[in-house]
Amino acid sequence: MKFATTRWVGSLSLLAALGIPGMALAEYPEQPITYTIPFDPGGESDVTARFQEPHLEEILGVDVNVKHRPGGGGAVGWSEFQSSAEPTGYEMIGVNIPHIIAQPIMRENAGYETDGWKIVTFFHTTPNALIVPKDSPFKTLDDLVQYAKENPQAVTLGGSGTFSANHLGALRLEREAGIDVTYIPFTGTGPLPAAVQGGHVSGIFNYSMLGVQMQDNARVLAVASEERVPALPDVPTFKELGYDIVGGAYRGVAVPKDTPDEIVNKLEEAFAKTNQRIAEKQEPLGFVMTDITDEEVDKVMQQLKSAYQPILEEAKANQ
Amino acid sequence: MTLRLNTDLAAGVFGLLFAALLWFPRESMGRLSIIFPRAILVITVVISLALIVKAFTKPAARRVHVEGNPVRLAVMIVVLFVWWYAIGLLGFLLATAIVFFGLTWYLARVEGPVTMRRLAQWVPVVALLIGAFYLAFTQVLNVRLPSGIWS
Amino acid sequence: MDMLLEALLSILTLEGLITILAGVTAGLFIGALPGLTATMALAVLLPFTFTMSPLQGLMALGAVYMGAIYGGAFTAILINTPGTPSSIATTFDGYPMARQGRAYEALAAATIASVVGGIIGVAFLLLLAPPLARLAVVFGPAEMFWVALLGLTLVASLSSGSLLKGLLGGCIGMLLSTIGVSPIGGETRFIFGFPALQGGIELIVALIGLFVIPELISMAAQGRGALPESGKLKGGAGSAILRMGKHIFSKPINLIRSCIIGQIIAIIPGAGGNVTSLVAYNEARRFSKDPASFGKGNVDGVIASESSNNVMVAGSMVPLLTLGIPGAPPDAIILGVLLMHGLRPGIDLFTETGVLTNGFILSMGFAALFLLPVGLMGGRLIHRIVVKTPFYFLLPSIAMVTILGTYALRNSMVDVFIMLLLGTVGYFLRLIGIQAAPIVLGMILGVIAEKGYVQTMLAAVVDPIPWLRLVANPLSIVLACLVVLSVATTLLPGWLERSGRMAKAKRDEEQAP
Repeated sequence: MKFATTRWVGSLSLLAALGIPGMALAEYPEQPITYTIPFDPGGESDVTARFQEPHLEEILGVDVNVKHRPGGGGAVGWSEFQSSAEPTGYEMIGVNIPHIIAQPIMRENAGYETDGWKIVTFFHTTPNALIVPKDSPFKTLDDLVQYAKENPQAVTLGGSGTFSANHLGALRLEREAGIDVTYIPFTGTGPLPAAVQGGHVSGIFNYSMLGVQMQDNARVLAVASEERVPALPDVPTFKELGYDIVGGAYRGVAVPKDTPDEIVNKLEEAFAKTNQRIAEKQEPLGFVMTDITDEEVDKVMQQLKSAYQPILEEAKANQ
Repeated sequence: MTLRLNTDLAAGVFGLLFAALLWFPRESMGRLSIIFPRAILVITVVISLALIVKAFTKPAARRVHVEGNPVRLAVMIVVLFVWWYAIGLLGFLLATAIVFFGLTWYLARVEGPVTMRRLAQWVPVVALLIGAFYLAFTQVLNVRLPSGIWS
Repeated sequence: MDMLLEALLSILTLEGLITILAGVTAGLFIGALPGLTATMALAVLLPFTFTMSPLQGLMALGAVYMGAIYGGAFTAILINTPGTPSSIATTFDGYPMARQGRAYEALAAATIASVVGGIIGVAFLLLLAPPLARLAVVFGPAEMFWVALLGLTLVASLSSGSLLKGLLGGCIGMLLSTIGVSPIGGETRFIFGFPALQGGIELIVALIGLFVIPELISMAAQGRGALPESGKLKGGAGSAILRMGKHIFSKPINLIRSCIIGQIIAIIPGAGGNVTSLVAYNEARRFSKDPASFGKGNVDGVIASESSNNVMVAGSMVPLLTLGIPGAPPDAIILGVLLMHGLRPGIDLFTETGVLTNGFILSMGFAALFLLPVGLMGGRLIHRIVVKTPFYFLLPSIAMVTILGTYALRNSMVDVFIMLLLGTVGYFLRLIGIQAAPIVLGMILGVIAEKGYVQTMLAAVVDPIPWLRLVANPLSIVLACLVVLSVATTLLPGWLERSGRMAKAKRDEEQAP
């Protein structure tokens, strides 16, 4: 069992053994850090945090406690964080795009703002993937687009959540290809494999990970990344096929807005190092590791906001 | 204690009130969101009305029997909410220590007066109980309990 | 078979058995605490498995899962509080038994039923996984809608007394389940301007509130503990265990039926353990010679509930291991562990890494076996604590654990408030005849029904008559017929009796030679 005292002593002795010279200059961190995951245990965000936890502890030399605060597709945890977290560097929270862009636009009162914090880093992305059943008549993306053109709304695409990365991906496919499909939201990734294998939907828009997981029972038509996903070398990107769709979920961490820069830098470094160590385990699962920090974060945020905002606003008007 | 109350009528009225509580502030919800709650709200209203009709035609029990002492009942409810409020204010440990001890004392008086000596003897027992659960949750299950003003 | 033998040998080490024993014990205690579910037990203990080998880690988690589902029965029987949602139905007869001073009998029956259920689940998984897995994918949105309706027909039998009040309770539950973010529309519903309500009302929070708080309030009002102090055992613990064992195995139909129901429901993704025990309970009652005694302390109710929910543990691994579909929420965590160790669900799992997979499956069987000693001893201990502790200590302790458990679920004081509020309202609702069980049932099934219905309608936008999609394929038609049949068989007897036709029919029968 995890007794904090023993771990505390353990990490102290670790520090002493390493005798880190920089310790005198920058004292942060000296107490346990809380790492909030605003989703249920078992999801992608949680699994990633579990991968990171031991490495972060080793690099930072303090306990990192993963705490779950699920609800409202992340919104409950995020609104609580923005209203109450202290900018001391001892509280951080997992953030996901497009959730933090879409929810404040789509909801009357999401309880938080898209830019109401300092995003430390986006450590990986999971590109969207279009997956169809193994016995599906759609052998390629073109088959599907062709059929959808002739039969508007008849193609049903399942995905995880509403105005989520999957939903936005499906909406962008509609725009890019000039087709009209029916997007059917499911709650989470869990029910999707059954929906595809049982033929309850024509296909699903989900993350590359599911594509890797379902290799035996399904066919991945395309992935929405800039380059091919390492774990799915035979699957073309939408770009290769002539559709400018790059997108998916970005996962990262944020700290309160006024957190000092030295602390943010320290965390950036720790996450970058952690990423290198866990890449070997995460890449085969279909994650695409990234190290987006500082200005790049703003650039990515701007770029995605301008990509999603018109789609979201149009969808909101239609509701 | 036995109250005179037409339970069918009470249940029907409660159903209508609950439906109204949700129906009026329903905001401008999209079709996909409202379709299911609307159907259930309609069914709720129908069932509630049926209960009210039944209340006047063939009522079920007209008496409600509350077992035990109604004062203690009310106190227990209030204590629970005070406990909740106190945890937010004073933090889990202090609030629980106070409320737990107070509640134990209040309930023990049911069986007769409690001497100071017995009260003093309970201190370690209560401390042990709270301490054991506190440690189990914070250390083993890794739950961060509210610390109130002490944070 | 070689693989099975090799797998058996790989877990039959001292280290392996200790792992299982520790897992079962840890799971049991976490499961017994209200608010701490099997999912949470797995999530909390997950980090400890990181340092273990894949097989040992999976063995530990399988054992924790088994222990946690079983542990829920303890509090269900002793203080009318389902420790996990899967033991809701255990309270219906378990707690009345305890109030009659037959708590240890109920615990013994629950233990034996759980052990048998756990082992049967493992047998299903070992022998029938591939054919059963095919069942998992045939349940689409339309079928799920009918499954939810089928579950809702349980309201009729759960509402002791007035059917209308039971239905009202079910509707209230379904409405409570709609608070928060709508599953299909993605908008917030009924949050009254509180961002915290976006998370909705968690089932467990409502469950604890509606079951524990009314009991606490009435214990305080009456100045009594949970169990009568005269709850002595007739002829000691040993004879209670023997008596229950005899009762269960002399009439095994109830057990067999419950296990089969448990297995079938475990495969349906999204229905999970919350529903299995309720359905098994309902069927036990329907087929009983003395349905009126259910809810008043009939041990068959406890047996049905506890055997079916432990079948679910291994049973829900069928779609998980073969297709990567988690059958119940805790399975999502097991899936995460498999992926973390680089194991991809599918046929490879049974061939290439067959020793590992079979070892994992077999270890769950051992975990079920270990429930017997651990459960009977632990049960004796907890039983004695609940009976012997003066009520003025017991009551605040239960209240404290309830608050802690509710808080720990989502680290939320708002949830604690919701729990207390629902509990208080629930106490008064119980007085006027609206019971907790139909409300909770409504909450569980409302979500499933809504998703099934709206998804079906969405997929049917191109059809001229969209709702025909609900009965578009054979399975959904069968399920729809089952719904009608279930309603008929529950309502008809009472109806006939009331209109006096039954008496007349009987007379006619007697007159006809």
